[in-house]
Amino acid sequence: MATETYDVIIVGSGAGGGMSAYHLTKAGLKVLMLEAGRNYDPRVETPMFNTNAEAPLRGVGTPDKPFGFYDATVDGGWEVPNEPYTVAEGSEPFIWWRPRMLGGRTNHWGRIALRFGPLDFKPRSRDGLGYDWPITYDDLAPWYDKTEKLVGVSGAYPPQNLLNTPDSPPGCLMEAAPPRAFEIFYARAFKAMGIPVIPMHGAVVSGQMEGRNTCLFATPCGRGCAIGANFQSTTVLLPPAMATGNLTIRTNALVYQVDLDKAGKARGVSFVDRKTGEHHSVTAKSVVLAAGSGETARILLNSKSPKFPDGLCNTHGMVGRYLMDSVGLGVSGQFPALEGLPPTNDDGQGTQHTYVPWWGYEKQKELGFPRGYHIEIGGGRHMPSMGMAGLLPDDETSVGDDLRAKLRNRFGSTIGFDGRGEMIPNDDCYCELDPTTKDKWGIPVLRFHWKWGESETNQAAHMVKTFLEVIDRLGGKPEPHVETDGRKAISKGGEMIHEIGTARMGHNDTDSVVNQYGQSWAVPNLFVMDGAVMVSSPDKNPTLSIIALAWRSADNLATLAKQGAL
Amino acid sequence: MSSTPPQDEPYVSKIDRRSAIAWMGVVGAALAGGAGVIVYGERMGGERVTRGYGTDPKLVKPEKAPWSRIMVPAQLQTAAILADFILPASGAAPSASSLGIPDFIDEWVSAPYPSQVKDRPVIMNGLNALSVHVLKTSAADRAKALAALPASADPATKAFWKKFRHLTIGAYYTTPEGFKDVGYIGNVARTADPGPSAEVKAVLERELQKLGL
Repeated sequence: MATETYDVIIVGSGAGGGMSAYHLTKAGLKVLMLEAGRNYDPRVETPMFNTNAEAPLRGVGTPDKPFGFYDATVDGGWEVPNEPYTVAEGSEPFIWWRPRMLGGRTNHWGRIALRFGPLDFKPRSRDGLGYDWPITYDDLAPWYDKTEKLVGVSGAYPPQNLLNTPDSPPGCLMEAAPPRAFEIFYARAFKAMGIPVIPMHGAVVSGQMEGRNTCLFATPCGRGCAIGANFQSTTVLLPPAMATGNLTIRTNALVYQVDLDKAGKARGVSFVDRKTGEHHSVTAKSVVLAAGSGETARILLNSKSPKFPDGLCNTHGMVGRYLMDSVGLGVSGQFPALEGLPPTNDDGQGTQHTYVPWWGYEKQKELGFPRGYHIEIGGGRHMPSMGMAGLLPDDETSVGDDLRAKLRNRFGSTIGFDGRGEMIPNDDCYCELDPTTKDKWGIPVLRFHWKWGESETNQAAHMVKTFLEVIDRLGGKPEPHVETDGRKAISKGGEMIHEIGTARMGHNDTDSVVNQYGQSWAVPNLFVMDGAVMVSSPDKNPTLSIIALAWRSADNLATLAKQGAL
Repeated sequence: MSSTPPQDEPYVSKIDRRSAIAWMGVVGAALAGGAGVIVYGERMGGERVTRGYGTDPKLVKPEKAPWSRIMVPAQLQTAAILADFILPASGAAPSASSLGIPDFIDEWVSAPYPSQVKDRPVIMNGLNALSVHVLKTSAADRAKALAALPASADPATKAFWKKFRHLTIGAYYTTPEGFKDVGYIGNVARTADPGPSAEVKAVLERELQKLGL
């Protein structure tokens, strides 16, 4: 590695890093990718058809594996050994999900692949709140088209022409999987409320796609996919990048600093090998940060020099600012109408087959909150877990044949409604370096500050109200003790694992850290290509947009490289 | 129903032979009890292992949970009796004890994680209290003690009953036998998802009409 000369160093191997590597290596550039976690190969490490009975504790979540034993996440979760973070005194809770594995969070993500809409790029122009992006939907639309075709996204349907819910052009999406029984069921209640239910866009190969395997319509996507039928950086982006011969990957390389030359350009990066503790510096003609919004901000803030005493690209104090997450909460219900349905295979394609896009764009004022949410709805007869007893009322005590009959009858009769909503960036949500706490290798860690605004808590209260109405219309009984106060019901900051916006793009160096192509204003050969560049946090889950933006930015970087402009 | 009440037939571990051999290495001597099974004996020697499986366990072929088991034969026997009171054999469905649920309860209460550590005294104290009434007692007394459990007003007993039943149901229905009993027919590779059958759709339609939807 020491003798190689690289055109680009990419820090991170997830959605942004993987996409950047895919494009830059195909463009003929020599790329060194540095990943903080270990090597990971979903083809041989995915527990595809394992039952919970084969796992310790029947697969329930533990501090070692918070999302369950079979969740793909390696060496991570809400805590990463030896790599702490802190939350400022007086802050509302914030939690930070990190894996330490090749492909990052693309290995376990929810595979919900929704495009941002035109209004999402111009929120301030719409209602005076938040900030406008320096690009429009039309600027990104061609990259969404390309991304959907590469990622493999299901959910094609005739154009719906719904406001701010883009229809993909023909040929971008594969056919939607048919609604399952519970999806047919809930759709009727929404319809009665005048709310649309449409096919989900899922990053799952649901039909024939050249070079890819089709979904087996079994096993949860969160475990990863041994046949590469869903989108993971490790199955879709990195293998073709490696095949070019232009990509070198070094794992267990925790980057903590961008190094500058005398002229103030990026010379390379410094990292610590997580296994040996040794420090290394590597060089290249340009550097791409795609370590995830938190880690990318941390690297910039830790890159201090006489010219940048408060951290690289932070002259105007913008790094770490405008941190956002999705608003989230869920309410479940049990439905007598679904009891005793004939056995049916509800495993499906991993993501929901249908969902509810936000329907209230034109009545936000009367609703009392400025931005909306979509609804992700889960149910059906999924592989039983340790929560089976939860199918029964809390005070239920039957045994024997009576118990067996009740469980059989109620299996598949619960539905969970989860809202994912837009958050407006505010001055109380940001990250900075903790003045005292350091990680195992002596590198300062992030300290988070968080406070939801009224826009978000009012939206959360509306989610609960909507879900309770739907449950009622369907003749169901909500779970006990539903919290209706939005401020109490709302998720913790970071909990939706959509943290974005710590190095946002903008029009100039006073309002942003990077330009519309992720190129930093302060250091022209330093780029950011992950969720950190996002200016707003629409209700739509961010991964598809991270990939599309990274592709657009990588294309610009490749052009600059060819022009000798780096 | 099983023809022999659990009390009269020692509970036999259902852990497989490979696991049993490894397990014996940890806990010391146990009595060999025929092909693929061991009978619980008193555990001897060896340091108690209290570590979890770590943040990067093998997923495709999970290894046996590394922590030492803490339940003694009387507790396992009591767990077998209670698990079979909750889910006795019925038709083609096997009993809870025949699926090794007591072993699972042992794995659960022995685990080093916070949730399981919290459950430990609830289950262990409950089993100890119940054992007096179900081990070495008449069938009538045993039946009476078991029947009294769900209606007990004693907070500790209530908590024990609720938690033990929750664990038994979860452990039972996460097995292939449990899948069959409850009607889970997934976890099989398919070339396409055809969606629900006409029969299912017809039932749904009737129910939706009843709801005015």
